[in-house]
Amino acid sequence: MNGWESLHFIGPALTLLIGAIVVLLVDLITDRRAATAGLTLLVLALTATYATVHVVLGTSGEALYGAVVIDRFGLYFAFLLIAITAAVVLTSFEGLDRISQAGEFYALLLTSCASMIVLAQANELITIFVALETTSIAQFVLAGLGRDDRSAEAGLKYLLTGAISAAVLLYGFAFLFGLAGTTSLAGIAHYVGTGPEGARLALTMAFVLIAAGLGFKMAIVPFHAWVPDVYQGAPTLVTTFLSAASKAAGFAIALRIFYTGLGGGDTFISQDWAMMFAVCAALSMTFGNLAAITQTDVKRLLGYSSIAQAGNIAVGLAAVASGSTLGPSAVLFFLGAYTATNLGAFICVIVVSKRIGSDDIRDYAGLLRRSPGVALVLALCLLSLTGIPPTAGFLAKVYIFNAAIQTGHAWLVGLVIVAVLNTAISAYYYLRWARTMVLDEPADATAFHPTLALGSLLAAMALAVLFFGLNPTWLIEAARRAAETLI
Amino acid sequence: MDSIGVIIGFYALAGLTVGAALLVFLVRNLLHAVLALVLAFLGMSGLFITLSADFIAMAQILIYAGAIPVLLVFAVMLTPHASRDNANSLFAPGGLLIGLGFAALFVFVAMATVWPVLDVETLHVQSFAGTVRTIGAALLGDYLLAFELASVLLLAAFVGAVALVREDEA
Amino acid sequence: MLTAFLLLPLAGVLMIAFLPKDREHEAKYLALLVTTIAFAISLFTFVWFDRSVEGYQFVDRLQWITAQDAGFTVQFVLGVDGLSLPMMVLTGLLTVAAVLISFNITLRPKEYFIWLLVLETAVAGVFLSLDLIQFFLFWELELLPMYLLISIWGSGRKEYSAMKFLLYTIGGSALMLVGFLVLGLSAGTFDIAELAAAPPAEAIIPLAAIFWFIMAAFLVKLPVFPVHTWLPDAHTDAPTAVSVMLAGVLLKMGGYGILRIVLPILPQQSLDFRMVLATIAGFSVVYGALITIRQRDLKRLVAYSSVSHMGFVLLGISAMGAVGLSGATLQMFTHGTITGLLFIMVGLVYDRAHTRQIADLSGLMHRMPLIGTVFVVTGLAALGLPGMSGFVAEITVFLGAFGPHPIATSFAVFGVVLGAGYILWTVQRVFTGPMNERWAHLPDATEWWERTAMAGMLASIGIVGIYPRVLTDVVNMGIAPIAAVLGGGA
Repeated sequence: MNGWESLHFIGPALTLLIGAIVVLLVDLITDRRAATAGLTLLVLALTATYATVHVVLGTSGEALYGAVVIDRFGLYFAFLLIAITAAVVLTSFEGLDRISQAGEFYALLLTSCASMIVLAQANELITIFVALETTSIAQFVLAGLGRDDRSAEAGLKYLLTGAISAAVLLYGFAFLFGLAGTTSLAGIAHYVGTGPEGARLALTMAFVLIAAGLGFKMAIVPFHAWVPDVYQGAPTLVTTFLSAASKAAGFAIALRIFYTGLGGGDTFISQDWAMMFAVCAALSMTFGNLAAITQTDVKRLLGYSSIAQAGNIAVGLAAVASGSTLGPSAVLFFLGAYTATNLGAFICVIVVSKRIGSDDIRDYAGLLRRSPGVALVLALCLLSLTGIPPTAGFLAKVYIFNAAIQTGHAWLVGLVIVAVLNTAISAYYYLRWARTMVLDEPADATAFHPTLALGSLLAAMALAVLFFGLNPTWLIEAARRAAETLI
Repeated sequence: MDSIGVIIGFYALAGLTVGAALLVFLVRNLLHAVLALVLAFLGMSGLFITLSADFIAMAQILIYAGAIPVLLVFAVMLTPHASRDNANSLFAPGGLLIGLGFAALFVFVAMATVWPVLDVETLHVQSFAGTVRTIGAALLGDYLLAFELASVLLLAAFVGAVALVREDEA
Repeated sequence: MLTAFLLLPLAGVLMIAFLPKDREHEAKYLALLVTTIAFAISLFTFVWFDRSVEGYQFVDRLQWITAQDAGFTVQFVLGVDGLSLPMMVLTGLLTVAAVLISFNITLRPKEYFIWLLVLETAVAGVFLSLDLIQFFLFWELELLPMYLLISIWGSGRKEYSAMKFLLYTIGGSALMLVGFLVLGLSAGTFDIAELAAAPPAEAIIPLAAIFWFIMAAFLVKLPVFPVHTWLPDAHTDAPTAVSVMLAGVLLKMGGYGILRIVLPILPQQSLDFRMVLATIAGFSVVYGALITIRQRDLKRLVAYSSVSHMGFVLLGISAMGAVGLSGATLQMFTHGTITGLLFIMVGLVYDRAHTRQIADLSGLMHRMPLIGTVFVVTGLAALGLPGMSGFVAEITVFLGAFGPHPIATSFAVFGVVLGAGYILWTVQRVFTGPMNERWAHLPDATEWWERTAMAGMLASIGIVGIYPRVLTDVVNMGIAPIAAVLGGGA
């Protein structure tokens, strides 16, 4: 394989990185935010085109000495991440929300997105670690970019917890490397497949540490403590990005390490880590939902809800242990549906918060009268988060629970029971919020409308939520084909 | 390799590193803590030497025992209004307990595991002369992407640092 | 045909949604048009239904979600048999009545009728679905319009009641989903007909657990003691039309689910737990009746009587024989029409007097003879007077259930006596006696839409009462295969 071909394999990420630098330079020349934002969108569009070329050509294989692979799994996440970033950039046309440095914001957004794409393609521990850290550094700064103390506090908190979890992750990698003698996931899979004598304890230690390190990104209990504070303190645009992109990337790499590296299903330790994820899932759902009930700040509420949703996705991780592609494809499908839903909800929050200057749930009273479109989209997203048909969230839940049950393990049925009971709890706070918007009398009945760009973005999200709820076959098929390349 | 000198050296250096690291958060004065940190880094580079990793040991001394403490001292000295107290934490006793628990756990796991150790013959054959060459080849070979990605990381950190400290012009 | 029945209300939703703001009062005519056509379709289906063949007819089938080798192939299958056909007709009939009775709605009428139509689609979807996942989808879909209808257009503690309704139902149906998924795994399909043809012999969790998971949802919906507490609240605070829908068709979803899914697919477990079900049923009948007697609010009274009446349904089911099961199905149909009509009458009284306190009402017969008469006739039907549909249903239930469950059935018969007591006592307190001067100026039911609704419902009660074969013919066709699976029985 020659050099150009290697670069071709990481082409999408490379496009984003070059784009990030160009954005920085252009920002030096012009002060017009629209120019940089437009340029960022152009870069994202180019990247999406590049990724599409890969899909059309059906590129697959390893590159750069096995550091990365290109496969449908990585491309699925590439598209997801590009879409999320594009949505955030489009939303930023509405206003940068406490952020004064537009150029840096867009450049860091692109950098973070690029390294997450590399992360989804990474096939080797050191690349994984460096890509993860690059993503994190960009996100720490993004969280602290707001011009007030709350944002600075969020950034610092995120940095500290992130640093600790990186150390934990690295320790886990060190254990793996010490045992397998290689950093490549294929090599580790081979080592684990031989069922080495006397290594079970150390392997367990390794995957617990790795799960702890990645659990920070995925925001599952007990590695969730930063979520509510950072979600509330960071500029909402950044929170949107974190809640969708960072979570997706965390699950992507967790799937890659655990499914490819630690051998989904057929190794002597896969039951162990499946159990671990099952416990984390149950804790996340229960804790996230119970804590969300008492919240009055919508961003905190969405923070806790994202912990609970991470628990739902972790049900899929636990199901991965069956070795069939159903578990990973359920995770991918859920992430796709969740991304559309969550982005929709956050963008609505951004629109509303800009107009009414508050994130208090009580100030959403009568939103239906003041801005019917926004209220309807937000209500739809809340229904989808609850899992009520005909939304994508309903099918995502059914599909992921189905994946867990299809493994044929009775204890996973137990986990699903915990999960469905949690759905009932979550209905209470999601629908209470929806009720406030639809039923209560507004204190101030001034009508407002989102800008055309945001309005169409919201409409697109709502359509996606409905479309994947009514006709999910396309996304399920995409998720399944992506999951198949993971083995 | 199991010569008695190496074993003594290892435990002495390990003790030095861990002791110094403990000092970092036990001493009250921030500057003293920085000095203890230097000591811990020195101990670590000593450990690298016992592993015949001479280049890493040198890099460790240059960067961690040299450059970073200088930055730390600058940071402490240039913020005259901030307290130089290495503040005590309420959680210290509990944290210590948990830390000791984890240490015990890790030691137990490390002891109980059958590590795939290279045997003495292989090690004797292996040359430890040119570790720089090996590291260089690895960085520009197998780990090329990670190496290049690290520059992106630095760029992001750099841009971020500038963005975070810049005063608002607006 | 069935797809048209299902999608027609949604077409109505679209039409109403595009009505301009200044013509929003016309929403009701559109809704009436759509529901009448839907009702007509259900009647045509009823007439054309081949009464000599068991199994599903008018089947519409579509592959909805196909995930190759993912164990998740979900179809969109609609079909009717003798079990779902009466429910389909009931849905069509009651929705028309509900629309008629809502003609005086002035608060946000467009949204009101939209949600009412969505509710019809959801309920019809439950009755017509032949795939477990699809069934579950419609089951959950029904929550949303109900929640909004109660919490926007209701009265009293409407938001509390709506939330209580929602949480009870979601809690129950959550477990149902687990049961469905395990069944789907064991049999490799979610198709109800295929599952019933080859009931799974074992699953990764005990079949008894699956039985109770699925029953949880249906028992909550039915509802029976002790999970009935959402019902009185929801009924009391819901607007009249929604009470009609709730009592008339939504409660039937519980009984229908047991008959359609639990009995055929888990026959052995159903037989194992028949005593438990019979005990719950007998208790519900008597408990519901006793509580009913104590009620001071007219609407709450009818609501609690539903608990008692739905106990009969479960009693018939617990007999696990052809007679008991037909009785249960008949009881579902007749309870739908009778209690639906009772709620309409209570709503009419409330619209005029603006109170539902029985103590405040007296001698209403003088001012509103028509309402009074219909109320009395409906009440008599409810207490099971021969010649009315209620009698046919209850007697069939008792005939079927007495053999296997003599004690529970005796209790239930005692419940009928109590039922006669509370209905007659209520009629006496509300409609006879000295006329309270406060009510001297109340009008009778004069609007055409009120009269049409009453007449239609009364007609259905009378037809089934006098000539029950029109229904039993169909019902027996649906019951026969289930009874055969359960081993004949009484």
